[in-house]
This record gives sequence, C-alpha cells and structure tokens, in this order.
Amino acid sequence: MCIVYLIAFLFSLTSEQCSSKLMEDSSQSFMERMHTGKTSFIYFGNHVNPTIKLFMEQLEMSADALQDYGISVVKVNCSKDAIANYCTGEKLMTKAYLFRGSEVLRSFDIDTVFDVNAIVSHVLFSVLFNEVRYVHTPAELLRVESTAKQNSDIVVGHIPVLGLPEHRALMEAAFVYGTKYQFVQTSGTLVLKHMGVVDLSSSQARLWFLHCKGVSRRSDPCPSTPMRKPLNTINIHTFLQLMEAPLVTESVLDPSEVDVVHLHLGVPVLYLFSQPQTQHLDRATAQTLGLQLRGEVGVVLIHRDNPNVKTSLKYNAAYRLPQEDVKYFTLNSAEGVVKLFKEELLQEQKLENEEEDEEHWSDLDILDDEVSESVYRDRDLMLDLESVIELTSDTFQITVTQDDITVVLFYFKWDAVCMAFIQSYIEVADALEGMNGVKLAAVNCGEWTDICSDQNVTSFPTVLIYRPMAAAQLYRGMLGTKSLHRFILLSLGSSPYILSSSAEVMSFLEGDLYSKHMYLTPVKVLGLFSSTHDMGVTSFEEAARLLRGESILGLFAHKEAEQWVEGLSVNLPALLVSRGPGVPYEVYSLPSSSPTDLVSLIKQVELDRFPELTVENLPWYLELGKPLLLLFIGKEDSTESTKALAEIKQPLSSGQLDSFLPCWIHLGRTPVGRSILEKYLGFVPPLPVLVMSQLKTGEEVFLFPPERPLMAKNILQWIHDVENGQEQPAGITNGFKCEFG
Amino acid sequence: MHVTICNHEYCVLGAGPAGLQMGYFLSRSQRDYIILERNTGPGSFFQIYPRHRKLISINKIYTGRRNKEFNLRHDWNSLLSDRPSLLFQRISRELYPNADDFPRYLSTFVKELGLKVKYGADIGTIKASDFNGNQGYILTDQNGVSYQCSVLLVSTGLWVPQQVDFLGSDLVEGYESIPTDPEEFKDQAVLILGKGNSAFETAQSILGRASRIHLYSPSPVRLAWQTHYVGDLRAINNELLDTYQLKSLDGLVEGRLEDIAIGKEQLYLTLTELLDQNGNNISKITGQNLPGFHTDNFSLRQPYDRVIRCLGFRFNFSIFDGSARPPQSSGARGRLPGITAWYEGRGTPNMFVLGTAAHSRDYRMSAGGFVHGFRYTVRAVHKILEQRYHNIAWPATKLPISQLQSWILRRVNEASGPYQMFGVLGDIILLRGSYCEYLEEFPLQALPQLSALSGRPLTDQGLLVLVMQYGLNRTDTLGPGRAESEWTKAWRSNFLHPVLYYYNTLPTEKDMRQRPVGWPLPRPEALHHMVEDFLTEWDQPISHSQPLRRFLEHCLQTDLRAFYAESCFLLSLTSRTPPLFCRQGYLRKQGIVGNSHLWQHAREAGLMADHQRDITPGDDTSVSEYLKHAGAAVVSTMNFDL
Repeated sequence: MCIVYLIAFLFSLTSEQCSSKLMEDSSQSFMERMHTGKTSFIYFGNHVNPTIKLFMEQLEMSADALQDYGISVVKVNCSKDAIANYCTGEKLMTKAYLFRGSEVLRSFDIDTVFDVNAIVSHVLFSVLFNEVRYVHTPAELLRVESTAKQNSDIVVGHIPVLGLPEHRALMEAAFVYGTKYQFVQTSGTLVLKHMGVVDLSSSQARLWFLHCKGVSRRSDPCPSTPMRKPLNTINIHTFLQLMEAPLVTESVLDPSEVDVVHLHLGVPVLYLFSQPQTQHLDRATAQTLGLQLRGEVGVVLIHRDNPNVKTSLKYNAAYRLPQEDVKYFTLNSAEGVVKLFKEELLQEQKLENEEEDEEHWSDLDILDDEVSESVYRDRDLMLDLESVIELTSDTFQITVTQDDITVVLFYFKWDAVCMAFIQSYIEVADALEGMNGVKLAAVNCGEWTDICSDQNVTSFPTVLIYRPMAAAQLYRGMLGTKSLHRFILLSLGSSPYILSSSAEVMSFLEGDLYSKHMYLTPVKVLGLFSSTHDMGVTSFEEAARLLRGESILGLFAHKEAEQWVEGLSVNLPALLVSRGPGVPYEVYSLPSSSPTDLVSLIKQVELDRFPELTVENLPWYLELGKPLLLLFIGKEDSTESTKALAEIKQPLSSGQLDSFLPCWIHLGRTPVGRSILEKYLGFVPPLPVLVMSQLKTGEEVFLFPPERPLMAKNILQWIHDVENGQEQPAGITNGFKCEFG
Repeated sequence: MHVTICNHEYCVLGAGPAGLQMGYFLSRSQRDYIILERNTGPGSFFQIYPRHRKLISINKIYTGRRNKEFNLRHDWNSLLSDRPSLLFQRISRELYPNADDFPRYLSTFVKELGLKVKYGADIGTIKASDFNGNQGYILTDQNGVSYQCSVLLVSTGLWVPQQVDFLGSDLVEGYESIPTDPEEFKDQAVLILGKGNSAFETAQSILGRASRIHLYSPSPVRLAWQTHYVGDLRAINNELLDTYQLKSLDGLVEGRLEDIAIGKEQLYLTLTELLDQNGNNISKITGQNLPGFHTDNFSLRQPYDRVIRCLGFRFNFSIFDGSARPPQSSGARGRLPGITAWYEGRGTPNMFVLGTAAHSRDYRMSAGGFVHGFRYTVRAVHKILEQRYHNIAWPATKLPISQLQSWILRRVNEASGPYQMFGVLGDIILLRGSYCEYLEEFPLQALPQLSALSGRPLTDQGLLVLVMQYGLNRTDTLGPGRAESEWTKAWRSNFLHPVLYYYNTLPTEKDMRQRPVGWPLPRPEALHHMVEDFLTEWDQPISHSQPLRRFLEHCLQTDLRAFYAESCFLLSLTSRTPPLFCRQGYLRKQGIVGNSHLWQHAREAGLMADHQRDITPGDDTSVSEYLKHAGAAVVSTMNFDL
C-alpha cells in the first residue's frame, strides 16, 4: 500500500507544473479555511519584487508537492484583502505561516523556506513533529533505541543542512513509513561520531537503519546498517525495502529462476550453492555474508540436491548484477566474496562520485579572493620599480635621513594586498619623480626582516614617512594612489602655517596663499589665539604636526585674532573652518585639551555636514554612527539633482536632520552606488532617489516614495512617518554572514 | 682553609655554547649571573672533540638570501645575539669547519658581549639548600669557594665516555685517547664498537691504512639523511659504507655489546655464552670457546690488532649531591638527566638543564642536542625564567586577525627556531576575537602549562599552534613518490613542512600523554598541513596562501578574504557586518584602493561587482589621468553649491 502511494507520488513529482495548485485566499475564504481544521501553508504579501517573485514560483511548485500530503498552499494578497494580524507589521513579506485550522503551528522566514525542497521539508518536519524524533547527542539516540527495542526498527537520518533535497527526501519517507519505523533526525557531528563515521568534515547527508525490533535481549545493542547511496526518495525507499527482505533467501531453483525482491530493486544478488552434507556450514556462511552485504547485495542459498538446479559442479557461487545475466564463479572464502563486491562490483557507481570529487578539488584551485586573484593575473608582469628605491640593511639608515621626506613602503612579495598596493605606490613615485626633497623607497620584509623588526612594523603593507631628526610618521590614510599622493604633497608644506597678519589670514582662508595645495583639499582649519603665549598654542602645534599631510592647518596667535570671532558666539581660542572660497566660515570654540584630543576635534570639524559619499571618505562618516539619509543622483548633472540637493540642504541648516547623516552619492563618480541601490531595493529606480538606511539600528531600508516630489517638507514628513513605523521598508541590508555561508 | 661565599641570582655551570647562550640572554636582561667554567677557556670539549677535528655542523654562508633569520636555518654553529656581525662565518668560511674554530668563536662571543665567565672554577659538589623558602643551590669549587645560586642552569654538556662492561673490556681503547695519526694503524685489523658519527669518523680517518675495519654495535646504522635526525650517521662520515658494500674488506656487524668477550694475547672476539663460567672465575679465551670453533663461518672469527670504543658520552651525575641530583632520563639509555617539558630538572626545582644535556626531551627526534637547536631552547628557557622570577610575560605580538595570515606566512618562510627545533618548539597564536597574540617558539610539550609559563592568560576563543614537521610515514628517502606536490594531499608531505593545530581549549597533560604515537601534539579540533615545498618557500597563492586562509576561516568562523576599497564601500553600506578585512582596514580608513587595471582583473574573474557596464569609458577617470591633471581632479569633499 505504502509502496504504491510513494510511486504514485514520485510520478506526480515528475509531471508537476501541469496546473497550479497554489490557491489565493480572500478574507472570506481565509476565514472559512481557519474553521476547517485542515493544515495549510500560507504566505501574506502586498507587492512583488524580484526576490518575492522567485519565492512565489517555488511556492507554486510546493503546492503541487504538498497536496499529496493533504496540505494546501495558499497566498494572500494583502493589498486586496488586509487580513488582521498577518497583513500588517514588520514581518509581512518576510514570513510564511503553517496553520492547522486557525492555530499557527510554526512561522518561517522566507529565507529558510527558500525553495520547493526547503518548503516541503520544513512543513513536513513541523507536521511530523511528534513522529520524527530530533536528537542531538548519542545519549538521546540510545534512549530512543531502548524504547524501540523488540518493538520497531529505527531509521536515523543525519541532515547537516536543513531544507536541502536530502532533508525533503527524509521527511517524505517519514511521512510514508512513519507508522512502521521510528524516524530520527539529527545534525551535528556527535551522533555521526557515535555511528562510527570517521570523516566528520564531509557535509554529506547520511542514513542508517537500526535493527531494533529483532534484538533478542533488551541489553543488546541494535545492529545498524548504513545506507551507502545518496539520500533521495528512491534510494531511501529501496533501502527500506532491502531492510525488510530476509537476510538469506533459500531456494531450490537454478539461479536464473530465483525471484527475489533485490532484482526488482536494482540490487545485485549473490547465489551460494549448498551441498546436503555441508548444509549447516553453508547456511552459516550465507548468514555471515548476508549481514556483511546487507543493504547492498541480496544473498540466496541454493540447495544443489534438487534436480531443478542445473549449475555445473565446478562452481560453488554465482552473482547477478541488475540488468545482467548470472555469472558463475568459484568461492574460496567469505572474505573473498565481500572483497569482490565491495572493491569491484559495487565500485562502478562510486567511480562517478570520485570524478565529482576531482572536479570539486579543481574548483578549490581557483582563487576566490578578489585582491589575490587580480594580483595573480598579473604574475607575468614585471613591476617597474625604477622610481622607487629598494632599500637594504646597508642603505636604509643613510637613505631615510637624506631628504626632507623619505616615504618608505614595507611589503612582502607574497602578500597580495602588498602587491596590489605597490602598483599604486609606483604610480605615486612616477608622478613625484624629479620633485625636490621627496623620495619614495621600499623595503622587502621577506628579505630585510631585520629592518622591518627594528622599525616595529607588524602590519603589512605599512607606509612610514621619515624626516631628518624626527620620529617616523605612520601613514594612516587609504592605500591608494590619490590619497598617498595628496598626503605626500600636503606633507611638504608646514603644519601649521604660521600667519602673522589679518591679511595673511584672509589670504590663507580664501586659498590665495599656498594656492598650489588648493586642489588637494579645499578645507582649511585655522587656530585662533589671542597671543603666542596662550597655553593652547603648543598643543595646537603638536596636533598640527600629528595631522601633517592629512589637513591644512593655520595658526594665528595675535592680538588681531579677536577680530575674526567678533560678533560670533565664540570666544578665543577658537577654530575657524573654511570650506573654500565663497563658503561661509564655521567657528568652534577651542577647549584646552591634549594634542590627540585636538586631532580628533579637528578631524571632526573638517567633516562636511552634507557630504558626497565616495569610496575614499565613507569611513569618516560611518564612524558618526548615524542613520544615513542617502540621496543617489545620476551621472549627468541634471537640474533635478541640483534641486534635490538643495531641498535636503534646507532643513539641514535648521537642525531638523541632526539625528541623521544626510549625504549623497553621485553615480557617475561613484559607479558602485548603482550596485548599492540594487542591493537595497532589488532594482534601480529613476534618479534622483532618496533612501534611508538605518545601518546601526535595524536592517530595513526605506525608499522615499518616487511619486512624491522631493521637497523639504515632504522629506520631513516622510522621515516622521518612517520613525513612527508608518512606512513599509523597501528592502533590507543583509548580514554578511549569509553570503559567506 | 679560607672560605669564600659568592651570591648570584643565576649560576650557569659550564661555558660551552649553551652556557654562553644563556649568559647572553641573562646579560641582555641585566640579571645577576655568573658562568662557571673549570677550564681556562670556553668550549673546552671542542679542544679535544671531535678527535679528527672536523665539525659536521653545516656552516653554509651563501644561501642566495640576505634574510638574517632565514640564513640561520643554514648556519648551525652561530649563537644568537643582537650583533649581526657575531656569526660563526666571521671565524670560518668552511662548510664543515675545523673544530679549533669553534672555541675561537666562543671566545669572541664572550669578549664582544662582555659575558661574565669565571674560568678555573671546577665545581665538585652541588647541594640543594633552602633560601627563604625557595630551593636554591650551593656549588663548591676545588678551592672551597662556594656559590649560592637562587637558580642553577646546568650546561655541562656530555663528556663522560660511555662504557660497557664485558670480559676484556679493559683491552679496549677509547675514542677519547686513540691516536689520530692514521700511520699508527698501518696494516692493522681494527674492531670499532659503535656505529655513530664518532665510530665512522674514526673508521674514515684510518680507512687508507688499516687492513680491515669492522664496526660492531647492537643496532644497524641509521643514516641522518634517512631519519632526518642530525645525530645519526652523517653522509660526510660514511665512506666506510662504500667500502663495505663494495666488498673492500670493511664491514658492519650487529650484536649486543654485553654479549662479547675479548681474548688477551691476540684480540679474538667471542661470545660470553661460549665461555665456561666456573664460579666467578671466567676462564681464559681458548680455541674451544671461540665462535669460529662452533660455526666455522662466524663473521668476526679473525683476530684484531686493536679494539676501539666509540660509544658516545654521558652526563656527569657525580657532582650532584643526593639533594640536588636529577633522575636519569628514561630514554637515551639513562645517559641524560630527566627533565620537565620546560627543561627544569625533575624533582630539582629552580635548576634547569640546558644544551646537549637537555637532549632527553627530543632524543633521536629533533635538534635539541645540537648547537643549532639548543640555542633556541635556551632562548625559550630564558623567557620562562623572566616570567617566573621577574614577572615579565613571554613576548607577544598583538596582531589584528586580518594580519594573522601574513604573519604566519612570514614565520613559515623565515623563522629558524621552529625550523631547527621541528616538532619541539612551535609558535602559539592565542585567539582573542578581533585580534590575536603571537608567541614565538614555545616548548610544545609544555603546552598544558602555557598560561603559567608564559604569563599570558587564556580565553575561551581557542589557540593555534604552528609547528614544523617531517611526515610521519617513513618512505623511501630517494625513491619515487618521496615528495608531495599537490596541496590537496598536503597531509602526505614527507619533508619538513608547516603544520597548524587548532584547539578550542588548551590540551591538558592527559591529552598530551595520550597523543597519537609520533605526534608532537594531541589531536586538535582542526589540523592543516601546508604542502612541503622543494624550495622551502611557502608563498604561492593557490598551493599555500589560499588553503591556509581557508583553514583559518574555518577555525575563526570568519571570512578572511581581502577586498578592494570599492567592495568594502559596497559591503559597508549594504551589510550590518562587513567582512573582517573591511572592518580592520577600510573602515579604519586604511582600505586598499587598487587601480582600474586590477579591478578589471577582479571583474573578469567575477569576484568584484561590475557596475561599470553602462558607464561610458570617458566617465571613468583612470588614475594616471588623474595624476596628469591632478589640479582638475575631483576632490572627495565636493562642493555642491554648483
């Protein structure tokens, strides 16, 4: 009965998708369903994006599969029928529910039930919750065994990853055979070890049959037979049939006439010929072989004294492979037969597996690290280190004290990150070639390990800046051409610039003075002190030295300094920030503090209040830990973009956006922004588009409704709605771990 | 008699290589120490031995490399110091130097580093004594001068010739006193007892003069190039194997030394079992009790002109008073003192054994009995002393996890300590979440006591141990398949290669005792062999780095791949937890930017997101473009007031 059912079911699997069994419920039909008491798997949604679309396809396939188990699969369109409790709240879209009547048996993340196999396996596992025992430890398994002894046999499935086809196959078998055998599911390695598996690293699913019913004494352990084939519905079915078959079938027919279940199941059969004189011994041998080959080979004992047996006397054994004729041979020992089967006859299928293994290994030969791979692809490229001086133990000390600035890169040849950076480093060296007072050098730490240890370099690559008579300065910026180039050029200037008159201050702030550095950064920070005797001056000077290369700093310690803060709510000493010609200055009061505190203060005031995010500057802004109000603008500078920028800037000055970091990404200059949008929303809408991603407080991403005009008041209203939970998230930022697996 | 008492925190007994090495470390850490030496100069053993004056320790000057640490892998004579010029190659440029050069080198070492050595102090007795509740030692020299030492470091070496008692053993000459002029062996038949380097060295020197040389000892010859143990027969001494195998009158014979007897008039060899033992009076050797009388083709039936004993040396236990005497080691036929995994005498607290005398820890396994090995164990013991007596923790480098892989590769490619002391000293990496502490060259057998010995607390985040090992499966050293080149089969490597062990929790002493035979450590949670390399350069991306990275990822459960700044930008904006490399690099403003050329490669490999597809080439200002028009380039803080 069971067999017929299963086969019919298998057939339905292959002929699926003829017509959809997925039902759609209205509020009315949903209410009715709740009263029937039947089991149903329901998904509530209100719109479709590419992810959901894929899920719906899988849901449809599962409807066909689950119908065979009397479980209906239903979707509810919340935008048409808003069903209370399920059509609202943050879990909408990301959850599906298993109902029995009106009771929720379990809810699932749609990430968990990602495809038809996952849906079927999880749903059946929940439905069979009381029938299939879930065990973690060998002790738990032994308890299940002891209750089953002399009662029923046990099927143990080891499923390392839930929701895969193997899991589905086990659950389907449990559904069919659940009344006959005790099913046990396990994961993890403890039980695996207990079952005698040596190679615990393989993530293969496994199955064992524990012969508990036939144990003669309750103190005996249940003998077990492992299933050696991959876990799928047909193999499990075959295996369970084999477990039911007698260990040895006795017959009085010629081998070709004997009909045993094994032949129907596509399993080889071994025939042993017995003489009346040695019948007991032969029977014992057959039993032993039957035990050793159980699950893989059927054993038949043929009594030769019967006239039906026509086999020549020179043979004492024969075997028959599926779809082949009987082959006769002479058996010398029981071990010989086991060896014959295990090492030769049963190997054919395994060979295929091994080939797969080989492929698997060759996959591992591919570098999966973007930096390593890109450097590796350049392995035939001889780096032209001409513009970079290679230092040795003998030349190091002399070289680093010769010039105003000697930049030294410490690297390993075999480190991909170092070798990726060295390309940028050479680009900088080439660009600076011929410039007075600057020299770029490199130390290969694989060879000159003593220099690297002496210089306390423990991280690779490292760039140190040497100046005569000064301690080496660590380059802390991005390891890229632009950043390093800018850093070196800025390092060439003084830090701070000492300004002696208000005219010089004006010229410094407006970019006329030292204009050659103007293009490097438009931001300038000026320390204002009433006199050179001010206690803060030394601190400021020290901070300026620490920030050398990173910022342009000026110092005006003069009685005229007062004029620059006149009319402002700030007293001296003060910091004045200029963001370029024509932009109003910002003024901050300067508390007396240590140079390192001053450094962080200066770095902080330098930050833009409405920055364009770029690959190079993002870390400075993410550090603020605020939710992002992120405007994406297209690569062509349209009036729309300009307007959108202005609309956000408006509430910015009034302080209404202080809890956010308003920022923007220009897809022309930062093309990766397109991928970010795709990850946020699943698609790229027409630009400009405003998005809120609350990186630190949650995973949701909210999209400013494209149909509403991007205007200050609408934006504020939208922010308000989002904060009050009145907006639906448009996507989520995922935990990276999912990708890593 | 005038009694003088000197007090020292540390007394080092013996100014050989181990004693001086310890002296250097004590002097560097400015400890109160004295090195006591009974002779008038350092390394007096080498004034006599090896008798034929050729050192068999490699002095390879030209390695093609300038890495000082790496070069120590091939310099077996130098001691460790912070003076780059204080290497043995300054004294000799021979690959196998003359033995006289070694004491000369040691004298230079003492002089240039200003080590405190007291010569002519012949310590006759060592007694344990209680100093304020701690066990200390009182040493007395030939003049009655006493030295009170809180910590005693015994580096007396092995110099008592090993002897075996049998009938006629008084007729045997010793290696220590044989003539070294080959002419004295002209046309003589010589039986040498022993098959080690001294036996072969002796045989080799008289090969051209002696008529017949037979080597007799219990075990067959063990060749260093087969066993990887430098104490076994070195190829430089093995000419006799040639003349034996080519039937040129020399030969090797196996048998127990206690079983033989040697007759007086002519040196006939016989077996004790053939002698009439009437009472205690062992009868003279006569024709009837010669083996040749019973078995007419007995190998050693012809008489010898000389019998020479070359059986090695033993530790001098006699100077230790019962209160201070370490037990005899269980291995090495009891010739060595028994010591703990951290080189402290068993039952003799505050007394440590250094140098060749400490070889019982790795006898016939590693290089702890030889200068190139014990210079590192001495350094390890010094670190243990610093922790125990001065509370200075074992030096550790704190590394962000993203730097761990490159640090391991660095050590694997240059470190000399674990390379020489394979299977004995290993690097320990204490995992501490986002960073780790890297401890170099810890004695592996003392791992269960790691915390107490190193002063580094343990956490529940597990640890990694980096060990160099030869393969455990003995294979035909010169035969086919002797080397493995497939990284996927790295575990089958036969030659010295790095192995990483990962433990969730520190192994206990029981784990240590019950470890599989031949393993330096107990079974770990995860194990990684880096495939052996013909050039001993473990730096290739596919065969070495990537498998190592995957192993570390498995242990740390973290993605350790590197990402360009652009990928980190994407991941930082779209994920709550960007990969470690981005967190420890990019998000700390140290991202690796790369250039369009590299990105192109990464995109073609499908590893980097390709969002350039609809961007016209002109839009992408390449970096070189940028530099040409640096003035006009886009700056990161764009002014939006257009």
